[in-house]
Amino acid sequence: MTETQITRKDALLYGGAAAGGLVVGGAAIAAVAVAVDNKKPPVEGAPIVAPYVEGDLPTSDPAARAWKGADRTYVALAPQQIAQPFLEKAGITSLDARALHNGAQVALLLEWDDDSVDDLDGIRRYHDAVAVQLPTRSGAPPALTMGAPGSPVHILQWRATWQRDIDSGGNTGVDQIYPAVVHDVMPDDVLPPKTAQLYWVGREAGNPLSQNVRSSPVEEVVAEGFGSVTHLPNQAAVGHGVNDDGRWRVVIAIPSARDGVGEPLAPGSSWPVAFAVWLGSEENRGGRKHIANWQTLQLEGK
Amino acid sequence: MAKVSNWQLGRDMEYPYAADRPKKQFTMIMDTNKCIACQSCTIACKSTWTWGKGQEFMLWNNIETKPYGFYPTGWDVNILELLGEQEWNGDVYSGETIFEAAPEGERVLGWAPAEEDWSHPNIGEDEPTGNAADTTYIPDNPHSMMWMYYLQRICNHCTYPACVAACPREAIYKRPEDGVVLVDQTRCRGYQECLTACPYKKTMFNLETRVSEKCIGCYPKLEQGLQTQCTTSCIGRLRLTNYLSAPDEIDPRKPADFLVHIRKIALPIYPQLGLEPNVYYIPPVHVPTKYLTQMFGPGVEKAVEMYRNAKDDPELLGLLMLFGATERIMHTWDVTGGVARAYDEDGEEIVAVPLREPTFVRPFEFATEVAGEPTTGYLHNT
Repeated sequence: MTETQITRKDALLYGGAAAGGLVVGGAAIAAVAVAVDNKKPPVEGAPIVAPYVEGDLPTSDPAARAWKGADRTYVALAPQQIAQPFLEKAGITSLDARALHNGAQVALLLEWDDDSVDDLDGIRRYHDAVAVQLPTRSGAPPALTMGAPGSPVHILQWRATWQRDIDSGGNTGVDQIYPAVVHDVMPDDVLPPKTAQLYWVGREAGNPLSQNVRSSPVEEVVAEGFGSVTHLPNQAAVGHGVNDDGRWRVVIAIPSARDGVGEPLAPGSSWPVAFAVWLGSEENRGGRKHIANWQTLQLEGK
Repeated sequence: MAKVSNWQLGRDMEYPYAADRPKKQFTMIMDTNKCIACQSCTIACKSTWTWGKGQEFMLWNNIETKPYGFYPTGWDVNILELLGEQEWNGDVYSGETIFEAAPEGERVLGWAPAEEDWSHPNIGEDEPTGNAADTTYIPDNPHSMMWMYYLQRICNHCTYPACVAACPREAIYKRPEDGVVLVDQTRCRGYQECLTACPYKKTMFNLETRVSEKCIGCYPKLEQGLQTQCTTSCIGRLRLTNYLSAPDEIDPRKPADFLVHIRKIALPIYPQLGLEPNVYYIPPVHVPTKYLTQMFGPGVEKAVEMYRNAKDDPELLGLLMLFGATERIMHTWDVTGGVARAYDEDGEEIVAVPLREPTFVRPFEFATEVAGEPTTGYLHNT
């Protein structure tokens, strides 16, 4: 399978394209079926059609039966080489995407091959992650490059680190990175908790990245271009990611209403949607990521 | 890329942001000749700022032995090798900086230390270099062919920081009031681009909070007119926390301006990398010029000569004597009647130090009588 290159020109072109969620399949070659639990192979270039389902969505279960009711779309990925710093070479070339909605919530299931689970951050040690990018408004899609000034995008990012924060109850620090570590006296050994906390400056300053106790592995942000990610005060995204066989299966879900963020993801509407994938083992982080071109997310009517 | 003026290179250079010099620039002057590597500064810094969980390997301040000591391992030789051989044309740098040599897709030419590189802060400690066959156990000159020296390292609070250039989030900034470079702890998202970009390797990653941290120039002390922890804990009295004026506003009455711009005795570290670093070193007098020139640029020989002659230069000697004499930041100084005096911003005297401490010469007869020594050759404490 050839690698897909998205040039700056492509990005600007698609960013300014006419309304209607322009879909651009990267490589003009047939997708190779990597179906595991679906009879139908994922189709490249096809819209990601979210069937309407009654009741709760399987937002914390990537293996739920409900997902079998949604077709998978093959989404080509390419190394981000529009804004510095670049991702020099691709570690993967695609992800599979599908979606469901129930009128109140939209959920996506994203899958990609990764035989290295990277869920701790350390020195030169980075985490696996995936992100979904949606416009905040209907109409022409914003620039693929995480929007542009005055033309924001709504991004939902799931991180393996955050998943481990939740799964392990916040045990995701030095003791886990170096299991044989022996500590000298630390502030939390000798100081009252409130004072000791001051030595974790990022955490104390309220940086969402620095917390290890959290309720969702998905961060909800808005951006108006590379480097402008802004954490939303109201975090409504949920999700769950699992990798026990060399493949990440990650669910990301948000309320359809998108209160305070953008226009609702109403039943029957279509939206441009883009994705990004980070492989921790390949030192992916920040702009060093795999990106997909705009796809179409179709929410079926009730 | 913008064109900015770098006085240390004697030319303009490329930098991702336009020049925006602070009102005054935090600086530190290090007299390498006085250091004994006791690490009092390292401990003072560590116990003040980085004794938290997640900061175990962090030394915002460290002392390493040159040429074989590094923290992190190989920090300077790696970037020198990446950059390749470059040339000075007199006082003008004709080579490429790490911004000009950045590969496609990168803002800065850099490399990322591995975790084990941060794990050996004492590597190479006290190891000399040179040809042992050329020296003797009882050297016939004070400095044999073998040499080593101690290098004192904090963040250089550069005028053109590579960490600032590389951060895709603009999470690192330079304070306009004093030029101190800080990582915004609410804005950093832990990409570690700064760890790759900083050639001095003085940004570090906190394993618990997952964001970068770095030397803060003890800014809470600066704001009270006090010198940094590493300065005031230095038993060798080799450091001076001070402010440097912009190159077009040099004031010879100000200590840092005098040492850096007037006497040119204190030199920047690896100026050829292009960051205009703001920690300045009085080079060691016993180290081969070639090595020192690589580290401190073309002014080395003159600086060493000036230092050797400092005993005959009361103005310079007085200022050197005021290093470590007060916790307060001095703004001006003078030397009259054999006494050096430091003054604060309002011209009030902070401290006075004699150029020569009063000494008492014990009479020869007294020594022999009391100690019962033979009457030849014993002079104690002269």
